Amino acid sequence: MFEEASEVFDNMFKSSFPLTFIVFIPAVLILVSPLPAEAAHEFTVYRMQQYDLQGQPYGTRNAILNTEARTVEAEVLSRRCVVMRLADFSYDKYQKALRQSAGAVVIILPKNMSAMPQDIVQQFMELEPEMLATETVVPVYFALEDDELLSIYSQTLTSSSSQGSLSAAEVLLHTATANGFQMVTSGAQSKAVSDWVITSLEGRLAGVGGEDLPTIVVVAHYDSFGVAPWLSYGADSNGSGVSMLLELARLFSKLYTYKRTHAAYNLLFFVSGGGKFNYQGTKRWLEDNLDHTDSSLLQDNVAFVLCLDTLGSGDSIYLHVSKPPKEGTPQYALLKELETVVASQHPEARFSMVHKKINLADDMLAWEHERFGIRRLPAFTLSHLPSHRSARRSSIMDVRSVSPSSHHGAGEPPAGPHVDVSKLSRNTKVVAEALARVIYNLTEKGAPGDLQIFTEQMVQEEHLSAVVDWLTAQPRAAQLVDKDSSFVSTLEYHLGRYLKDVKRHYVKADKRDPEFVFYDQLKQTMNAYRVKPAIFDLLLAVCIAAYLGMMYLAIQNFAVLYSVVRRITQPKTKVH
Amino acid sequence: MTLFHFGNCFALAYFPYFITYKCSGLSEYNAFWRCVQAGATYLFVQLCKMLFLATFFPTWEGGAGVYDFVGEFMKATVDLADLLGLHLVMSRNAGKGEYKIMVAAMGWATAELVMSRFLPLWVGARGIEFDWKYIQMSFDSNISLVHYIAMAAVVWMFTRYDLPKSFRLPVTVLLTLCVYKAFLMELFIHVFMLGSWTVLLVKAVLTGVISLCTLFLFVTLVHSN
Repeated sequence: MFEEASEVFDNMFKSSFPLTFIVFIPAVLILVSPLPAEAAHEFTVYRMQQYDLQGQPYGTRNAILNTEARTVEAEVLSRRCVVMRLADFSYDKYQKALRQSAGAVVIILPKNMSAMPQDIVQQFMELEPEMLATETVVPVYFALEDDELLSIYSQTLTSSSSQGSLSAAEVLLHTATANGFQMVTSGAQSKAVSDWVITSLEGRLAGVGGEDLPTIVVVAHYDSFGVAPWLSYGADSNGSGVSMLLELARLFSKLYTYKRTHAAYNLLFFVSGGGKFNYQGTKRWLEDNLDHTDSSLLQDNVAFVLCLDTLGSGDSIYLHVSKPPKEGTPQYALLKELETVVASQHPEARFSMVHKKINLADDMLAWEHERFGIRRLPAFTLSHLPSHRSARRSSIMDVRSVSPSSHHGAGEPPAGPHVDVSKLSRNTKVVAEALARVIYNLTEKGAPGDLQIFTEQMVQEEHLSAVVDWLTAQPRAAQLVDKDSSFVSTLEYHLGRYLKDVKRHYVKADKRDPEFVFYDQLKQTMNAYRVKPAIFDLLLAVCIAAYLGMMYLAIQNFAVLYSVVRRITQPKTKVH
Repeated sequence: MTLFHFGNCFALAYFPYFITYKCSGLSEYNAFWRCVQAGATYLFVQLCKMLFLATFFPTWEGGAGVYDFVGEFMKATVDLADLLGLHLVMSRNAGKGEYKIMVAAMGWATAELVMSRFLPLWVGARGIEFDWKYIQMSFDSNISLVHYIAMAAVVWMFTRYDLPKSFRLPVTVLLTLCVYKAFLMELFIHVFMLGSWTVLLVKAVLTGVISLCTLFLFVTLVHSN
């Protein structure tokens, strides 16, 4: 047959040249074409943080992954992708995977994170900063679970946990029936993003009466932080702070429109970016305003700077200071007014002052007011958290709401970070009342403690709730909020409705000695391919060889079948 | 997984053709070029069918789960062109009945193998992802070989002038079965929700039955003279 075939091909070549092209070019093209991907399952994965802060690297360093999946129970983990569920996650397992030089780690998070039991949420929240602090070379990814992913996980679990405990025959059968999974990411290696701009916004309400009015600055940082940037929604920290700032802007702009209530204080509102990365936005803003400009509100007469950070739940309000305010200063007045307002109008809340000196030797500053304190501006931070080290400030568990099923008791609030709009609105009322009393000097004028300046309708809970919903609808990590992003422009528009002179302020890292470096490839598409081990191919080849052998024999002996049929049909013809 | 698996599937699909070609004695008759011609006729017939279907049949507008019985039936009727094609091939080849049938069937089936199975195997079986459907595709090509041999035999018998009257009916029945086999398979899958291996089994059984009946009729016809 091959001689005939070659004859045919010879004729083909000699007779018609174009025909060869028609035959060969497609063949060549097909041979060299790349393989299209067809995965068992394709899903989005979010990478763990990767950034350098002040020269110190944090988080995972790698993004590419092309390894077989295993769970932690398997014996051999090196160069494999370890898949874990949040419910089974523990720091020991994570360390074990890293120690055995796993190729990657993928952590599967439940779709509704707020429905997880509280102890797991707490444990994970505490582990997040530890995971980031150890610089990991392997890529760590988070994926939101769906049915396909769960089935992949359970199949991997059964095959991982049964390794090494079966006889040879069982292992052989196992390889024939089991599915292995190869996890492949589609992106490139991560690299530093150059010229990333952190945007901050400022706006003001000018006071009435003269040139040299005292200024009150209200600051809140809008970015969020978590172990994975795309999953950090930062509802309480610091979505609550931003929504409170916007509400205060609205209230005071209302007051400042009428001559009778127009006070003799300038109000400067600053929504800063890069807050979770050691308050980069605030730092550069201060430098620009104090060092590089001739005249700025910050240079003249600053009464105090009030930073809002995490005020969305809980019944305590703490005023964090780096120096206890002296009597007779505006800061002292605010402190006293806050105490008065809480004591007389909101007795269910507890207010206290926390004094913490600025420690310049620390890697990261504690609260935002410390930036102002370093530049000798009187500042404090209001928060419902007693300590800046709380894990609630930088967790991906900080989401808008927690489902009722995870409450401990019937009426007890959930322990995970979240925003309770009623508490947020109460805190907003407290701050608004205290600020008003300071600005209008009400205590000196003899106003009683329980005089409410802002009635129920003024501080609108629905408005606060809507703003918090909008803030938590997208992840607001500093690496994700570009200066052209819709989030910044919406915020700018929102501020512009109430404040005058709304300006943007940009921060770019210094070229030679960058304070912060961000990396890309934070969100990837991962494919899970179903694979079979090599033994399976050999097994299949043996079976196919046996089948073909049988085929060969059958066809060779076709004549036997033919004669049988002939013998069966012959009596019929004889009858004819 | 990759090239080795492709090799497995390719061997499974192609070797029976090779063995059939060798053992049926076609090689003694220099039938290679004629088989290639039969293959070219297959391509031409498929092209005409596609043009016809595209021009005259509207796209199915109904829901995803509903099976358009009438539409698919009409589309299957177009497969009558296959029979015409086979007849054309066989009429151009002079020789004994068996020779004609084998040449036509081999060429036709090989063309179908190359056109409709080789490319999916090359593209799919070489990938990282493993799927049983490639092995099933190769088995399916084996079944197609038997099916086309039976179909060619039935067409040949149908066009014989010396076909006894009593044979007309069974031959016609077999002919329609051959044409509508694909349609019947779709019907079975839809009604009984069969798994992929069961489908293969049913197909094999159906083809086996058809080819056995054809064999009986053929032997009776050839040896009754």
